[in-house]
Amino acid sequence: MDPVIESLRNAVAAMPDDVPLRLHLASLLLRAGQRDEAVRHLGAVLQRDPGNGEALAMLTAPAPDPSVSPERTVAAGPDSPPPAVAPDPADGDSSGGEPHTDPNATGSYDWSQAEDELRDVLPAMFVGEAGSTSAGLDEARAYDAEHTGLTLGDVAGMTDVKKRLEAAFLAPMRNPELRKLYGKSLRGGLLLYGPPGCGKTFIARAVAGELGARFITVSFADLIDMFVGRSERNIHELFEVARRNAPCVVFLDEVDAIGQKRSQLRNTPMRSAVNQLLLELDDVTSGNAGVFLLAATNHPWDVDSALRRPGRFDRTLLVLPPDGPAREGVFRFHLRERPVAGIDLARLSRLTDGYSGADIAHICETAAESALLDSVRIGEPRLIAQADLEAAVSEVRPSLGTWFDTARNVALFANEGGAYDDLVAYLRKRRLI
Amino acid sequence: MTELRQELARAATMLDLGRYEEASSLLARVVSAEPGSSRAWCLFARAHLGADRYAEAVEAANRAAAIEPAEEWPHRLASNALMHLGNHTEALRAASESRRLAPSYWQTHVCVAQAALAASQPVLAAAAAAEARRLAPNEPDVHFLSGKVALARGDLDGARAHQESALALDPAHSGAMNELGRIRLRRHDTVGAIRHFINAARTTPGEHIYSRNIDVVVLRTVSRIIYVFVLIALLMLWVPAVMHVDRFPFVLGFGVLALGTVASFAVLLLRLPREARMLVRRTLRTRRVATALAVAAGGVAVAFAAVTFVPPAELPQTLPVAIIVTIAARILATARLRSPVGRGPGGGRNQPGSPARR
Repeated sequence: MDPVIESLRNAVAAMPDDVPLRLHLASLLLRAGQRDEAVRHLGAVLQRDPGNGEALAMLTAPAPDPSVSPERTVAAGPDSPPPAVAPDPADGDSSGGEPHTDPNATGSYDWSQAEDELRDVLPAMFVGEAGSTSAGLDEARAYDAEHTGLTLGDVAGMTDVKKRLEAAFLAPMRNPELRKLYGKSLRGGLLLYGPPGCGKTFIARAVAGELGARFITVSFADLIDMFVGRSERNIHELFEVARRNAPCVVFLDEVDAIGQKRSQLRNTPMRSAVNQLLLELDDVTSGNAGVFLLAATNHPWDVDSALRRPGRFDRTLLVLPPDGPAREGVFRFHLRERPVAGIDLARLSRLTDGYSGADIAHICETAAESALLDSVRIGEPRLIAQADLEAAVSEVRPSLGTWFDTARNVALFANEGGAYDDLVAYLRKRRLI
Repeated sequence: MTELRQELARAATMLDLGRYEEASSLLARVVSAEPGSSRAWCLFARAHLGADRYAEAVEAANRAAAIEPAEEWPHRLASNALMHLGNHTEALRAASESRRLAPSYWQTHVCVAQAALAASQPVLAAAAAAEARRLAPNEPDVHFLSGKVALARGDLDGARAHQESALALDPAHSGAMNELGRIRLRRHDTVGAIRHFINAARTTPGEHIYSRNIDVVVLRTVSRIIYVFVLIALLMLWVPAVMHVDRFPFVLGFGVLALGTVASFAVLLLRLPREARMLVRRTLRTRRVATALAVAAGGVAVAFAAVTFVPPAELPQTLPVAIIVTIAARILATARLRSPVGRGPGGGRNQPGSPARR
């Protein structure tokens, strides 16, 4: 078993949306003669990026004939198009001897050229990715202050969350006179927490839309860039961009990464980044410069308590797995641009109680993948049917078990000062504690 | 080269934050592009370790060792992964190699101590731990491991002193709190042990081993109560037969026994902290415990009925059957209790501050 392929398989399983990674794995699988699995990955790539030329080229390339030796492939002549995927030099070791190369021998396989072709493919897979460099963050490239065009009306279901959001955050923001009358301060941000894949980011974008503010997302990748580069300056620049674009919502996704308990951070640059973040938060919240702070985390218990002091992220909102109407909405969203017929959303919603939004997205992808593979086999496209989706539901297990195990520990042992009372209430309701 | 350094720095940061899958994804691409980078393979091994992919971790560590044979880190990573795979001999060999390459680096001694402990060589582990303490007296993980070694050697006082030193250096060291709980258990102090496990779970709620340890202690206590209950029930069945008592007051006897059992459990519950009581309630509600209690009570009830409702003349024939039924019920009940528990206290992986990872 090729360890690189195995590693890539694991990586793809962990990051199913990483198109370059899947393409790379597919190319290696094709070279290893595992065409069925390669086709499956290429199908997944085309689901995410229907016009991906590289995937289409690999899919339409003829399957290599094992009876044809590498020499014969190259000897097809200079006018022949290059093979879509270079043969693996490692294949030459199957005899057990040292690979013998003679650059002067015409008609022999050019291992150097094959390796060069391979190298051309690999660096391009991530060197060209946006945000892969961190030093000297460019404002326009790093942070887009955008109008999201979303409101809470676009969030399907989740009525309780919307109500609490309105009461805890939006109503004071939208009623400055009443705010003044009651002496309500605008200080402090809102921390959304809950299991992964349940719509925290979507809700944050909707909140920005409700406030008519621009929206800056700082993703985990951005945070990592901050740590790797000049962290303090990068964080300062982020807040400068927000001030220049006020009113603006700064959304720190996966804030547990940057706001991790400082006692857990051994890495000095990370500790200084957290300190800088605290400074900026104090500056923004006291200056009332039209910059609103939202953050999301799956693990609020890992967030440094300094970050949750009054005036910083002192309000929290639990975002739970989607309820029935929300699940229907998530299904509708993920199937809207796919060829479907006869889908019973209400039944699917019932079948997926306890699934996260990300799980439902995965179900839709699995169903689409199954229909795509069928189409490739029978030679004509077919629609995604209810049966595909129900089969996918039975195949995809809810991913929230681990999170709820930890949440149960928090509810039992770490609910100091009632910080997680809403979580405790939910766990009791579901008989999880 | 700068790009490689930057990608490796990103990966290292992800690993520090515990984001093993993202780091794996990044490193899979890095090692494909730069297969000659020993550091990339080491980080890849560390990512696999964090994601519990031990065979892949060994493979990646071996690649790193092949590229830079004089580097100690690959051997340490390999040792850690091999330990998880249960290959303790090879783990100890790899750890010893890392120590040979960097004898003045404390982590190599910690690695040897861990591997020796896993290989049931406590004397070797103690020597390595002592050397690690000499080299890095202010590292909490060194004291934590020293405490584990002392506990393995049965030195409870020494173990407690080491764990308290670890906590003095790092008051949030939940691994040390857990170890103090294990030490209390060895001293048959159930309530004290649970208190330490609760402290550990409160400090690091994401580490499930601590709450599982509480579950284990609760189940063990229930198992012991069943054992005592059945033992006394057996005596009550046996005594009338050997003492030639015409009619033993079985109803009264079993009533007192049942009340005594419930009362002793209630007293234990009352001594526990509130959080632990909640967990105990939840544990007792599980099908596993309910089945075990039902089997034990059912067995005793069958035996009780047999000796109560049969004529005294037939008691010598009935009594052995009743005793066998009771013992079988006890065995079945405790087997049911113990089977799905998994690793016992302290058997968890990924203990915070696991010193083998850099």
